[in-house]
Amino acid sequence: MSRIFKAIKSVLGLAVSKPMTFSFPPDMPLTELYRGRQLYKPELCKGCKICANVCPNNAIQMLEREKSEENKTGLQPQIDFRKCCFCGLCVDNCPTGALSFTNFPILLTMKPETLNYTPEMLAVPPTLEHPEAPKIKNTVSWARSRSIWIVNYMTGCCFIEAVPWVASSFDMERFGLLAVGSPRHADALLVGGYVTPKTLKRIIRIYSLMPQPKWVIALGNCPMTGGTYWDSYNTIKDISKYIPVDIWIAGCPPRPEPIGVAVVHAIQAIQGGYLGKEEKTDTDAGKMEVSPYPLLGADANKTEFDMVFGSQHPASGNFNMALKLDGEIIVDAIPYPGYLHRGFEKLMEYRTWLQNIMLVPRICVLDGASYELAYSGVTEKLAGIQVPIRGQYLRVVQAELSRIQSHLMNLGFGGAATGFDTIERLIWGDRDQVLLLLEELTGARIYHIFNTIGGVRRDIQPDFQQKAEQLIHFLRERLQTYDNLLIHNKTFIDRTEGLGILSKETAIQNDVTGPNLRASGVDFDIRTATPYEAYQEVGINTVTATKGDAYHRFLCRRLEIEESLNIIEHALDQLPSGPVCETKTPEDKKITWRLKIPAGEAFHCIEAGRGELCFHAISTGENTPYRIKVRGPTFGTILVMFPKLLHGMKIADVPVTYWSLDQCPADHDR
Amino acid sequence: MKDKALELTAFSTALKSHYALSEFEIRENLLTLTTDTTTYVDLSTYLKDQGFSRCLTVAVIDWIDQGEFEIYYVVHHLESNIYVKVATRIARSKPAITSLSTIWKSATMHEREMWELFGVNFVGNTMLKPLFLENWTEKPPLRKDFNWHTYVDKEYFKAREK
Ligand code: SF4
Ligand code: SF4
Ligand code: SF4
Repeated sequence: MSRIFKAIKSVLGLAVSKPMTFSFPPDMPLTELYRGRQLYKPELCKGCKICANVCPNNAIQMLEREKSEENKTGLQPQIDFRKCCFCGLCVDNCPTGALSFTNFPILLTMKPETLNYTPEMLAVPPTLEHPEAPKIKNTVSWARSRSIWIVNYMTGCCFIEAVPWVASSFDMERFGLLAVGSPRHADALLVGGYVTPKTLKRIIRIYSLMPQPKWVIALGNCPMTGGTYWDSYNTIKDISKYIPVDIWIAGCPPRPEPIGVAVVHAIQAIQGGYLGKEEKTDTDAGKMEVSPYPLLGADANKTEFDMVFGSQHPASGNFNMALKLDGEIIVDAIPYPGYLHRGFEKLMEYRTWLQNIMLVPRICVLDGASYELAYSGVTEKLAGIQVPIRGQYLRVVQAELSRIQSHLMNLGFGGAATGFDTIERLIWGDRDQVLLLLEELTGARIYHIFNTIGGVRRDIQPDFQQKAEQLIHFLRERLQTYDNLLIHNKTFIDRTEGLGILSKETAIQNDVTGPNLRASGVDFDIRTATPYEAYQEVGINTVTATKGDAYHRFLCRRLEIEESLNIIEHALDQLPSGPVCETKTPEDKKITWRLKIPAGEAFHCIEAGRGELCFHAISTGENTPYRIKVRGPTFGTILVMFPKLLHGMKIADVPVTYWSLDQCPADHDR
Repeated sequence: MKDKALELTAFSTALKSHYALSEFEIRENLLTLTTDTTTYVDLSTYLKDQGFSRCLTVAVIDWIDQGEFEIYYVVHHLESNIYVKVATRIARSKPAITSLSTIWKSATMHEREMWELFGVNFVGNTMLKPLFLENWTEKPPLRKDFNWHTYVDKEYFKAREK
């Protein structure tokens, strides 16, 4: 009984607390530090071309302008926002301070060419122009504009910033927007980031299945130019060659606000009678053959049949599986990944050691900070660089905040998979607060690029500790609410307890790691087993459970959030003073973006949100790696263990089991 | 900490006396061994028996200038927290080696990935078929002589440039 009372109390508490939804526009929960559109001061520039050389995405081109006393070459930068990922290398390396960031996040257009900013355009501080309100033509257009349904397909990593629109924080339903599973019910297709040839074929199919009129919104730089993956052998460089796109939103990923502005644009255009571009698909422009799905050969004479689960499915990410079913019982399952394969290990061989820090978090969008940390760690090991102790502490804070947001995301999915949409919206809304604090620390919500070789890029702001305390306090209270609504909820327990049991031995043999392994009773956490950064000093208690079922995997994550809050609290309490970044190598060479790392190899593992993440780096003494091997935490769990775990389950159990293992297709596909 | 270090030293001495190892290095809790291909396989059974039950990865490095592929695996001993990396080299012209899929279940999928991205054949692995790529007809993409530049130009930029 007391549980029910607690749950009711939590709900009533929510009813009287202040609303969680940000008003829109213009209330933007932006911090000053956010790396948004650059501002250029021509009077300071000396035309040295460093910014253009350092840019990992080739976003800067030097244009010839008048020569002057200060600027002897007369060259000035032009930034292409179809390519820029706001990593900040150009600003960091500009010797004169001619380039700086504003925190303006909104760059969207219906004509991508207009995103190429000349020096003159860059010199004007950005402002937001609201589109002119058109006259309402008829009720049909009006009705259409207020009920845009969007296909739910998580194509690439930009999708992460569409998620807050589902959550209570941005809440798209107030605009009449809804995410739907079936393309036949949808009005708009949101291409959420990079598109691999495998994904492209599915997108084209979805697009052709949608009824007229239909609109396409492309999120991020990747669909425009390939973005950060401009030289990847497995991503499409310009999606408008294949299907028409109405609105383009630049950014990597764009913040949720520009997505909102795009929606407002769309609503107004549709009210004015805009019916989208003419329907057209071009299947000749690339490699369009679809291989047959690897079906498992069901025996039609029995009650068996084959089913493809995913890749366009809210419970699969961009990943799919072939299932063989007997009635609704799964007889056999095999994974069919590769929708997110970008060839990271190859891309990294063509960027310098430092430029790669900007690339690695993109391996797994759900927990990018861990990848930065692991990669910086392996590089420093190889070069023999010691990170100053304050820098190590700040890395711990960043990594733990990232773990918290990743676990919150997962609990939300857990709620969604078991039919608790309320908890999903609530938790994801709270997750936005964590992202804001991360932005306060690093300058970005998702891809922080906070680390650099030798430490972190900046110290904390004076009021950071206070803000962090507030958040810790807020989340501790909120965790009680999650307990009352989800973790102690009998329906949730009944749905997840005893489901997908992983024994200790099976988990170990199949290379399951992280919270999933600890939920099976193995007390192994790299933060305590082989402490790195400042974990030894901060101290941590590992969280384990014994049963190894879906419930205990969710429970472990829920408890780890609490532990991470403690770690952050400790770390900030005992934050040592001193520098945050080493600037010289042991050979007394300055650490620059072209630093050559001595020949050799190093292997470094850390505990990411999903488990053991290792980088193996090989240097031949050049300024680029010879080879980097990334061993992601989900490779074994999802590609090896998960399909086996499904044997004997019902179809409805697939999403629950899947999210209980906390997948990240981007991580295992790389 | 001291116990572990001891164990690691004792264990490595035992290893050295049994097997032909051309290179041997201990750094923190990682033991790196380089050996010939037969020992590469023999060691896997031995390590599994010793309690190295987690196989973290099987991976390939393309040493194109030497005309060789380096193949290695990394395994982990949970109780004593020791990592062992065993590496060997094979000729680039005959890229085949015995699979470890019967020893560690998780090695199977890693080998499948390496088969696809480097074109190395793992003899005895029954799962060698495309994993990430669809209809790939070029050289395995992670080989050093796969020219990504011309490939990306040809496949994705040709329409825009002309
Ligand atoms: S912020 Fe990064 S990607 Fe953007 S122009 Fe500067 S260096 Fe290039
Ligand atoms: S903006 Fe800075 S880095 Fe770029 S050319 Fe001018 S002075 Fe050099
Ligand atoms: S790399 Fe950037 S632009 Fe591309 S999908 Fe990811 S977040 Fe979006």
